[in-house]
Amino acid sequence: TPLGPASSLPPSFLLQCLEQVRKIRADGAVLQERLCATYKLCHPEELVLLGHSLGITQAPLSSCSSQALEVVDCLHQLHSGLVLYQGLLQALAGTSPEVASTLDLLHLDVADFAINIWQQMEDMGVAPTGKPTQGPMPTFTSAFQRRAGGVLVASNLQSFLEQAYRVLRYLA
Amino acid sequence: ECGRISLSHPIVRLGDPVTASCVIGQNCNHLDPESEILWKLESELQPGGKQQRLPDGTRKSTITLPHLNHTQAHLSCCLLWGNSLQIIDQVELQAGYPPPTPYNLSCLMNLTINSFICQWEPGPEPHLPTNFTLKSIKSRDNCQTQEEPIQECVPEAGQSRCAIQRKHLLLYQSLVIWVQAENALGTSQSPKLCFHPMDLVKLEPPTLEALDPSPEVAPAQPDCLWFRWESWKPSLFMEQKCELRYQPQLREASWALVAPLPSCTLHHKLCGLLPATAYTLQMRCIRWPLPGHWSDWSPSLELNTAER
Repeated sequence: TPLGPASSLPPSFLLQCLEQVRKIRADGAVLQERLCATYKLCHPEELVLLGHSLGITQAPLSSCSSQALEVVDCLHQLHSGLVLYQGLLQALAGTSPEVASTLDLLHLDVADFAINIWQQMEDMGVAPTGKPTQGPMPTFTSAFQRRAGGVLVASNLQSFLEQAYRVLRYLA
Repeated sequence: ECGRISLSHPIVRLGDPVTASCVIGQNCNHLDPESEILWKLESELQPGGKQQRLPDGTRKSTITLPHLNHTQAHLSCCLLWGNSLQIIDQVELQAGYPPPTPYNLSCLMNLTINSFICQWEPGPEPHLPTNFTLKSIKSRDNCQTQEEPIQECVPEAGQSRCAIQRKHLLLYQSLVIWVQAENALGTSQSPKLCFHPMDLVKLEPPTLEALDPSPEVAPAQPDCLWFRWESWKPSLFMEQKCELRYQPQLREASWALVAPLPSCTLHHKLCGLLPATAYTLQMRCIRWPLPGHWSDWSPSLELNTAER
């Protein structure tokens, strides 16, 4: 169903989603700044190998690309991605006092956004039967791994949200 | 134990009757088995006690105070002993009103402390210890369907406001919220409100700044002023609109308004002003097009137009 349901997405829902994305990106930027300032971990590209070994993956948004936009599938992927990041942020809890409050707020805002998407899918009658589960989460065996995991998750989340923002902007 | 008072109700509505009875035990009968049981309310003797001897030999007096008009009073059961009045037992009576219905419930989402702050009017004094609780339920479809309740918010003693922490909130989902008041004489509830917490956000004022007086940016036009502003940093993720008000510092000058304005600008030129005059400028912003509350007006920025 290419663009059909897009017209049924209420403007206020789309405006709220855009605002939520901007809010989460602002939260994420604060987390990145704190991890960089506190631990000098400023470049996620230096942590790619570690990311693979920890199993930190990027959530797919293939149905949200402008060339192949499937709105319902896009909402599903958006929700699943947010659920994945909720889990990753939860796994990062306890990283350090310096980032604890930022992590909490980021986790709350991501959870809020996921619920907003889910309820919209329910209102449209396109919500999957069961809520998606988070899947296996990385296990951090050292303080360094947890901090580096924070940098990677924050970076992945920012690019995930950048993609989400583009499609929401397009739909709005 | 010499004697014991028992009450119909320790707490009654102000002006309602109270019935009490006092039983004088066997071990106090040796004083003067025929002496009358007397009642005192605070320090005043109360007539009308009905006395009887019970099968077990104890004596009982019952009294009904027709109208208790004290919010707090001590009722004493006494015996005459020689020529002194002995207090055998004493209880505290309380009178007041059922809790009034709280009203004028209003809430704001405060992004500074990331809390949802609600306040209300408690209503007239009930003269009884009364507990207020801010209750809320997550809900859907403009609060037609209700989901799970949120943790109750109990205000500090004597306060008519409460702050719900961010971790209990869904900022973009419907929330039903009300105030419950409870005391010994009953319970009451305020009208219920329904909204998204984020739709009640009130921003902090924007920051207004004079521009450096460099000629390229601010060529000297006597009827113009140059300045810039930026909305409150924690709200930059929100689309907003702002408005400017300004007035010359002259007797009986009134504010002029410029609206709508964007949430930030690197430099803004305001013209049509009086030359060689001091002006006061203020701005405020609001979340827009999504709902919100206007911020307060910013602190004043004072600028002077150039000489002609």
